[in-house]
Amino acid sequence: MSERIIRGRVDRSGVLVSADAPLLRLQQRAGAGLDKPLALPHLARLIALAQRLDRDISRPLYAADDHSDIHALVRITPDADGASLEISDWRTRPVTPPQVPAIADNAAGSQSWTWECDQQLRLVALLSAADAPAIPDGWEGRSLSELFELQPDEDGRFPVLRALARQSRFESQRVQAAGIAMILSGDALFDALGRFTGFRGLAVVAEEQMPAEPKDAAALVDPAFGSLPLSDPQFGRRIDGALRGPLSRIIATAETISGQFDGPIRADYARYAGDIAHAGRHLLGLVDDLADLQNIERPGFKAARDEIDLGDLARRAVGLLGMKAEEKGIRIDAPRTDDKAPATGEFRRVLQVLLNLLGNAIRYSPENSQIWIRVDRDGDRAMVTVADQGQGIDAEQQAVVFEKFERLGRTDSGGSGLGLYIARRLARAMDGELTVDSAPGQGARFTLSLPARDV
Amino acid sequence: MSDSVFSPGIDPPSPTLSARLHELASYLAAPAAGRLTEEQRALSLGVARRLVADVAARLDPRIDPGLLWKEWLSGGLPCAARLAGICFARAEEHRWREQSGQRTSPPPVLTEPEMTNADAPAASEPLSDVDRAYLALQIADRRRFDVLGNPALAVADLDGDTFRALLLDIAAWRLAEVSGDKRRAAELGDAVRVAIERQVHETGMAHAGHAYYEILGTALPEAAAAAIARHDWPTLIALAASAHRRAYDDMAITLLTADTAALPSLLAPLGLDHAALAPLEVSLVMLPARAVSGGSGDE
Repeated sequence: MSERIIRGRVDRSGVLVSADAPLLRLQQRAGAGLDKPLALPHLARLIALAQRLDRDISRPLYAADDHSDIHALVRITPDADGASLEISDWRTRPVTPPQVPAIADNAAGSQSWTWECDQQLRLVALLSAADAPAIPDGWEGRSLSELFELQPDEDGRFPVLRALARQSRFESQRVQAAGIAMILSGDALFDALGRFTGFRGLAVVAEEQMPAEPKDAAALVDPAFGSLPLSDPQFGRRIDGALRGPLSRIIATAETISGQFDGPIRADYARYAGDIAHAGRHLLGLVDDLADLQNIERPGFKAARDEIDLGDLARRAVGLLGMKAEEKGIRIDAPRTDDKAPATGEFRRVLQVLLNLLGNAIRYSPENSQIWIRVDRDGDRAMVTVADQGQGIDAEQQAVVFEKFERLGRTDSGGSGLGLYIARRLARAMDGELTVDSAPGQGARFTLSLPARDV
Repeated sequence: MSDSVFSPGIDPPSPTLSARLHELASYLAAPAAGRLTEEQRALSLGVARRLVADVAARLDPRIDPGLLWKEWLSGGLPCAARLAGICFARAEEHRWREQSGQRTSPPPVLTEPEMTNADAPAASEPLSDVDRAYLALQIADRRRFDVLGNPALAVADLDGDTFRALLLDIAAWRLAEVSGDKRRAAELGDAVRVAIERQVHETGMAHAGHAYYEILGTALPEAAAAAIARHDWPTLIALAASAHRRAYDDMAITLLTADTAALPSLLAPLGLDHAALAPLEVSLVMLPARAVSGGSGDE
């Protein structure tokens, strides 16, 4: 999943003619709007610079809006009619001051309190958002458990007390405060010596107190993921935000050490760093998969109906993974350029499925073996088949291979165990199917079929 | 506004041209001095905006802070000169804390204890006077953030003159908005008086810091050294401000712009030895775009 990009466009006279929601909000808070001159001085200066230089520029962008101070990276591409903007790494400031980490904009709803306590759980801060209930008087210095009457969870436990013992974050602590049911969550705080100094977090009015449509609690609990709130649209974004940055830094640093770019080090240390980078990439893949999963399991998920050619997409997938196959001496027999299989499906999603199938084939194939990719048409179905010479999958494994966290019977091969599950979900979302045909010792053949298209 | 910026005979300048000429004039007056970074501008502006909104809410909750800020942004903040120092001090303190936050040691790895539902910690245990004073200082510090954790100024921390001036500027703006409504104009006058009286009795960082300083007694050097080691900069600033009998924001900016060589004498009243100062020196040196006193530019 790619990092979210916020786009916008200004015309030659500096008028904002189109903007994604966050940029438009910022413009509106600055007192302007669409089809009005850009009201963000720093951004306007950067655009003028790009136009003067007549070339793309990428620069840090700082802006202050009503709710927070924004820090982002903007890429400006000038052209004859104005300039296009692509803004990434959109963050609110402050990032993480030692004693007072910021609450993410999207986390603090208008019905929440922000609170902080010290290591003895004595409250040192309590602030309410716009539409939140009034804060009780005399909260200063009171015990958290005195102000918020703690309620046990289903297992009879108190998440906040477990978190206190572990000095870790917690969520879903049910409480009663001033007669209102609330849900408490918090992050553990540490000082520069690494000593625990307390918690900071949110108290959100519980769902049942809100005049909103009641939610089906069962729908929020996924049988395979336990209590992970997969139906919560915030979940993917939180996972993405919380894990992608740190993991990317770990991988980049480990690769720098492993590659000995800053000078020679002991060979075993370089190998350890290589292992760390490998593990990091694995976790990053899992983050991608979980975010993808959250997206496709959303009710009403629909794939686009692009006019595609499975032959063309198969060749693209080979182009992307060819180097990986070469590392193992694997030869890929891809469809010829005149092998066509016109079909209907979402271009990037079909490519994603093919990359998963081909990636698995490379991962499970022995060295110096061969992989075949064939396209075909059967009635109103267009098909692409990926076949390898791996160890194959027995009938019992075939029955579960498309389940979550199944890893083709292997535990040492990397991968999250979500790829085939996601691939089949995507195939079905495009009115297609993903099937497997295999026998032990005879390799595996995965076939993606989609509605054929007449040309 | 200085007349000397414009040549005689030039038409009255637009606000943009006026701002640029003033900026150029101040640049020409000190070309070698480092200018504000965009981050410093954005942080200071954010601090000012939150302060204006807070004061406006005290004056009259019906004031639309968005409208007020929009008009002041286009026309200029009437109290700009007064606000510049305190907003910049708060923004710089925040940058400093943020830097420390990004460089803190990782938390210790704990062994997984047996998780039983132990009783809630006995927070009702009586606090020592020192602990109570420190708790009050923490509470005063956390009042200087908004609900999202962005830096702000607490009204209680403003000196009376600045608060009064800001209040009157906002009242003047509001008066123009409700002109013709004599009843509401009179209410506004009453609200100004009430707000000023209320603010006089409020206590903030200065009071909490001084109480902590007083109660520490001979434990002052130890507490100051611990604050430096923990990168607890608000506590250090508050103790130093009390020792020098200076305002908190004044002490903050003095410390943040101090030359490294000046730190020992500046913090001498806290009785710190040189080793205790080392983390402070390192932290200040690493803060980018710091305006160092006596230096030719940024550190």
